[in-house]
Amino acid sequence: MAGLSPPIWTPQDDAKTKVDEKVDYSKLPCPVIYEELHREAFMSLKPELFEGFRVDFNKMMNQKFFFSHNLLMGPTEIPSRTPGKILKVSSSNYEFGANFYDPKFMLMGRITMDGKLNARAKCDLTDNFSVKANAQLTSEAHKSQGLFCFDYKGSDYRTQVQLGNGSLFSANYIQHVTPHLSLGGEVFWIGEQRRSGVGYAARYETDKMIASGQVASSGLAIMNYVQKVSEKVSLATDFMYNFLSRDVTTSVGYDIILRQCRLRGKIDSNGVTSAYLEDQVSMGLRLLLSAEVDHVKKDYKFGLGVNVG
Amino acid sequence: MESTISLKLKGKGKGSKGASSSDDKSKFQVVKEWSNWSLKKAKVATHYGFIPLIIIIGMNSDPKPHLFQLLSPV
Repeated sequence: MAGLSPPIWTPQDDAKTKVDEKVDYSKLPCPVIYEELHREAFMSLKPELFEGFRVDFNKMMNQKFFFSHNLLMGPTEIPSRTPGKILKVSSSNYEFGANFYDPKFMLMGRITMDGKLNARAKCDLTDNFSVKANAQLTSEAHKSQGLFCFDYKGSDYRTQVQLGNGSLFSANYIQHVTPHLSLGGEVFWIGEQRRSGVGYAARYETDKMIASGQVASSGLAIMNYVQKVSEKVSLATDFMYNFLSRDVTTSVGYDIILRQCRLRGKIDSNGVTSAYLEDQVSMGLRLLLSAEVDHVKKDYKFGLGVNVG
Repeated sequence: MESTISLKLKGKGKGSKGASSSDDKSKFQVVKEWSNWSLKKAKVATHYGFIPLIIIIGMNSDPKPHLFQLLSPV
């Protein structure tokens, strides 16, 4: 399941007994959600690059309810039998979506022309407890996926339990231990694939920088660092190491946010450079330019998009 | 004729014995079958009904949008 980080379990006693009485530890802020631990680094270094022509049209019916029409015309990669060769097939995909956003209740549904439905729902039952559900449903048998998440937010900690199909169970916990540092852990168990694992994560943030790291028993170690050079510019770097498959990737990138545009660029240790520009041309109209150049595989992807509404 | 009738009676007897032993196990099986059936129906209902549900909820939220806004492309 995409986005599933290895789970790690820190017993609650360890995290809470570290609290001393110098800083006001009873009033620590609430940490970010465990899944968004690397949020700033991922937002700067991993924009939604695309290839081809893209149109996103959001039709607002009222403040909370809108329809979205997404069209992407361009080459899509198909798996090739000979390694080192990339096969691309031109295709065009249209996706219709209906979205309802209320402060306490959110519903989002997108359906493609193949009949594949991507549904998300989120409900805040109380101020601290929320339930989320996420499903990808297809007409093909046994290819559908569903996931339920139950989140509880405490004064300086967050905890989440996830249940999914294929006997997936995962739980994670993150706690602010000092005003800048938060530590967390996660455990998961996938019944169908007979896999289970544990993971640990840490995040240190100040006004100027954010550093975070995550280690998991599935073999993944991630470290990243974001430095806010000024209000408009931030630099980020990221290091990913898979100690089971001995795969290392590191990237360095920048993120410039100006009044009318946002530019993100990065260069990778795999020989990939990419850039993504979003320009607010006028009210309600945004132009997107995306480029990803893989010098090693000789794969060049350029995209042009328009975002309306 | 008589031989076929006696064979049939034997077959029925065996069948009923088999059913009584499987009845004890079948409570769990029944629960599993019902949960599988309900999950399949829920999946089909979600697949067809989720987007219409969002549209119905959205059209009834305030300020209430007009029906023609739903159908017009602008």
